[in-house]
Amino acid sequence: MSTLIIGLSLGMLLFLLASGLTLIFGMLGVINFAHGALYMLGAYIAFDIGRHTGSFVAGLIGATVLVAAAGALIERLALRPLYNRPHFYQLILTFGVILVISELVKIVWGLGYQESTMPEALAGTVELFGSTIPVYRLFVIGFGALVSGGLFLLIEKSTFGMLVRAASSDGEMVRLLGLPVSSVRMAVFALGSGLAGLAGAIAAPLFPIELGMATNTIIDCFIVVILGGLGNIRGAVAASLLIGLVRALGYAYMPSWVDILTFALLIATLLTRPQGLFFRATRSA
Amino acid sequence: MNVSRFDLWLGLPLAAVALLLPFTGPSDFLLNLATLVMIWAIFAIGFDFVFGLLGMVSFGHASFLGLGGYALALATQLWGLPFSAGLGLAIVAGALCAWLFSFFALRVSGIFFALVTLALSQLLYILADSKLRAWTGGADGLPGVERPGLGGIDFFDSTHFYWYVVAVFALVMAAVAVLRRSPFGRVIAGIRQNETRAEQLGFDVHRYKQITFIVSGAISGLAGALLASLLMYVNPQMLHWTTSGDVIIMTLLGGAGTLWGPVVGVLAFEVLKEWLSGWTQYWYGLLGLVFILATLFFPKGIVGELQERFGQWQDKAARRDGRSS
Repeated sequence: MSTLIIGLSLGMLLFLLASGLTLIFGMLGVINFAHGALYMLGAYIAFDIGRHTGSFVAGLIGATVLVAAAGALIERLALRPLYNRPHFYQLILTFGVILVISELVKIVWGLGYQESTMPEALAGTVELFGSTIPVYRLFVIGFGALVSGGLFLLIEKSTFGMLVRAASSDGEMVRLLGLPVSSVRMAVFALGSGLAGLAGAIAAPLFPIELGMATNTIIDCFIVVILGGLGNIRGAVAASLLIGLVRALGYAYMPSWVDILTFALLIATLLTRPQGLFFRATRSA
Repeated sequence: MNVSRFDLWLGLPLAAVALLLPFTGPSDFLLNLATLVMIWAIFAIGFDFVFGLLGMVSFGHASFLGLGGYALALATQLWGLPFSAGLGLAIVAGALCAWLFSFFALRVSGIFFALVTLALSQLLYILADSKLRAWTGGADGLPGVERPGLGGIDFFDSTHFYWYVVAVFALVMAAVAVLRRSPFGRVIAGIRQNETRAEQLGFDVHRYKQITFIVSGAISGLAGALLASLLMYVNPQMLHWTTSGDVIIMTLLGGAGTLWGPVVGVLAFEVLKEWLSGWTQYWYGLLGLVFILATLFFPKGIVGELQERFGQWQDKAARRDGRSS
């Protein structure tokens, strides 16, 4: 049972992370290599706010807002001039962004590990189906579900979501209708980045915060996004939970094979269903 | 525009500097830096076969480089083979790995190609770091990688090793220059410009891509072996995907798809790195910033921009001559 809970919480965390990446790809067609770096930035910011104010919630909000602002800045300054060029320029440019963000983090927080403390209200454990479960794990699952639900409503049901989807399917037409396509794109990028920051803040009490997060996490995100199908948010939910469960099971029974199995699953998917496990022929959003 | 004349104009001074450097009484540091630049340049040239010529972004080239390094280390240390055999094995290892990757990666294109190569090379990195520890030494790597043994010359001497790398570099450059202008090279360029048209003209596009990928892997493997030999050390960091990122930065900085671009890119990268790191410890971030600006404002890279200017200048000269005669 506890393996299941750990798996679900890992999966939800992965989803928070990957949803921003897949959202940005789905709507803007940009692969953001710096997504892992933004996640790291979120963790550091949450850690610092938590240290100074003692409030976990403040850290959560602060990290989301500040990282979203950083994302907006990146979009405006670096990506906007590149939309008309081949896709790989954006991919490569965001690799440069990783270097810059990592360096900024190094300047502000130094090279060492940082340990964030668990918020007191969530630090305990509960007995559930005969096993002891940390409350924070349950919180991660609930929060992840909440965010994924919210994201759905935002993209599928709200006016903003409609605008975003319209701008992604035919930006030129939407512009001609007099709608601010550039601002919509910036907002999407900020939203995706904010999700990365939020994931960082949520992950901060679970893992040590360090510079390697930037380059390691992005690989996990890519795995989820490929398995789920690029730009497919539904697929990302399913893929994150799948990976989370596989990992939790793997850690419990054969820890040294976890990463290798994950990659094997990834490669098998690419061979048999390069469009992702959860691809549907209709619009991918 | 006469590109080959441009390549000559750019290549001659570079060659002159490379040949004269050992006679200026350089420090060991400078010689080793120059050796490093040439080795990375070989890697970047190999990488540019796929990136510049074929127009596909691979994030998997760290694998070919790293495998080349490990092949040399294992061949000389474990199996007691001579250096030259190890070098040959490194080339084969790079080619084989590229061949294996191509089965997975060439099924997809564009951004997916980048992601698949990234995933494959990370798998290899994790294997080298954990499961294959008995062979690779795990995260500690393998120290004491051999230098060449050729006619009793002491290649542990920086100058001698420098000449060795100059020779290999010159061979690779010549081979690449020929290959680029060969019918094979023209087909590759054609595929980049219009894949569908190349297909319709009857070329087996998949086969051409696969061969290009393998050649690229082989050159990268060679570079990996030389790098391991220069550092006398090989570790999984060589296989990490950020190494692939570095070579992309260098190639794009110099000018993807041009003959000298990768070389100039590596040179610029290393010189910038030395200069910035002497000035601030935060050089990698600044380099990232330089790279971002270069991508935004000089997407053709240093050599690409120069080539364009050179072409314009030649056109102008030709027009002027035309008027006066």
